[in-house]
Amino acid sequence: MSDVERAVSRVLLLGGSLAVVLMLAGLVTLQVRAARTAHPLDVAHVVENREAGRSIDVFVSLPQLARALGRRPPDPVAIVTAGIVLLLATPGAALVVALIGFVRVRERGYAGICAALLAALVCGFLLNVAG
Amino acid sequence: MSDVVFLITLLGAAAGAGVLGAILGLGGGILLVPILTLFFGVSLPYAMGASIVSVIATSCGAAAGHLTSGLANIRLGLFLALFTVTGALAGASLVGIVPPRALQALFGLALGYSAFTTIRQLHVEVTESLTTDPLAQRFALEGVYHDPALGRDVAYRAVHVRAGAAVMFGAGLLSGLLGIGSGAFKVLAMDTFMRLPMKVSTATSNFMIGLTAAASAGVYFGRGDIHPVIATPVALGVLVGSYGGTRLIGRLRNTTVRKLFLPIVIYLAVSMLLRGLGVLK
Repeated sequence: MSDVERAVSRVLLLGGSLAVVLMLAGLVTLQVRAARTAHPLDVAHVVENREAGRSIDVFVSLPQLARALGRRPPDPVAIVTAGIVLLLATPGAALVVALIGFVRVRERGYAGICAALLAALVCGFLLNVAG
Repeated sequence: MSDVVFLITLLGAAAGAGVLGAILGLGGGILLVPILTLFFGVSLPYAMGASIVSVIATSCGAAAGHLTSGLANIRLGLFLALFTVTGALAGASLVGIVPPRALQALFGLALGYSAFTTIRQLHVEVTESLTTDPLAQRFALEGVYHDPALGRDVAYRAVHVRAGAAVMFGAGLLSGLLGIGSGAFKVLAMDTFMRLPMKVSTATSNFMIGLTAAASAGVYFGRGDIHPVIATPVALGVLVGSYGGTRLIGRLRNTTVRKLFLPIVIYLAVSMLLRGLGVLK
């Protein structure tokens, strides 16, 4: 296995795992808080349709998410969403690492391919979530 | 059903989709969306959002494992992803111009042909005598992996690179135009056209699907379709399942993986053809 492959593999696993830990921490906190109130979460109902889904504040932009994460105590849904964003960004992070790796070993062709893919990916993502 | 039971059942289903996704090179959407909508009563937009999460989680877990084992070829994946992403961008810009049904019928026929080819080479473990493709040489589209099922190292080199790239562009076009995943097309392009070992094809597809899905993930996130309570068990289950699946695939022969893949191709070919002909909506 080359250094580039090793680095990309680590980023994918680390990014995916960290994202899942954040999501799980947020969901458990949400469940615990809901259990303490008179309004349990009722997951099966929440996901039935969009109207029911909006009973939980779903974050749809990065500025909105950053504001919610800045509050104390942090909103559990914001923590889950931070995990989701981290997961969605992980393939991009892997591309950055691949780009650096290919530049280091002077494989210009693949460095160029990584840069082109990264540009397409970042544009696509930011156009929809920059808010 | 209580919340805990609901979430644990969903986690189990996602883990199963992750194992299959890691072996077959698919993001799990083809398995997960029907499971979520039919058995868990999840609305279609949230199921589609969960599917995107599943694709990226599969890619993270499976590609990490496949890169370590040498089955996924990062150069091959990046080279071909260039055509898929270009196709997806072209497809997205052609929405409303190209009739999707005509394209579905065309791809249904192409998949039917691929299914026929897959049946013909169902018992071919590894294609041995390969011609040299100048593009494969120039871009180093080759590799060696240790196959525990065969007990030896397997060397491979891509052939018919232009044809493979064209199919990848078409797969991307379809993804952009119809908003569907295209893991099966990626596997077929590598296995059928470029004559790569089936396990290398599915493992490399796992690396590629994450890149393609990440490009369109912002759309689902921005629409609020990635619901936190569904995304969490799906991501956890799929990540663990797909990483586990990478351990399993080493013990399987290429022919076994191809046999597992065949029903998916036949299902996709028939459903796409029927949609193209207007029989299914």
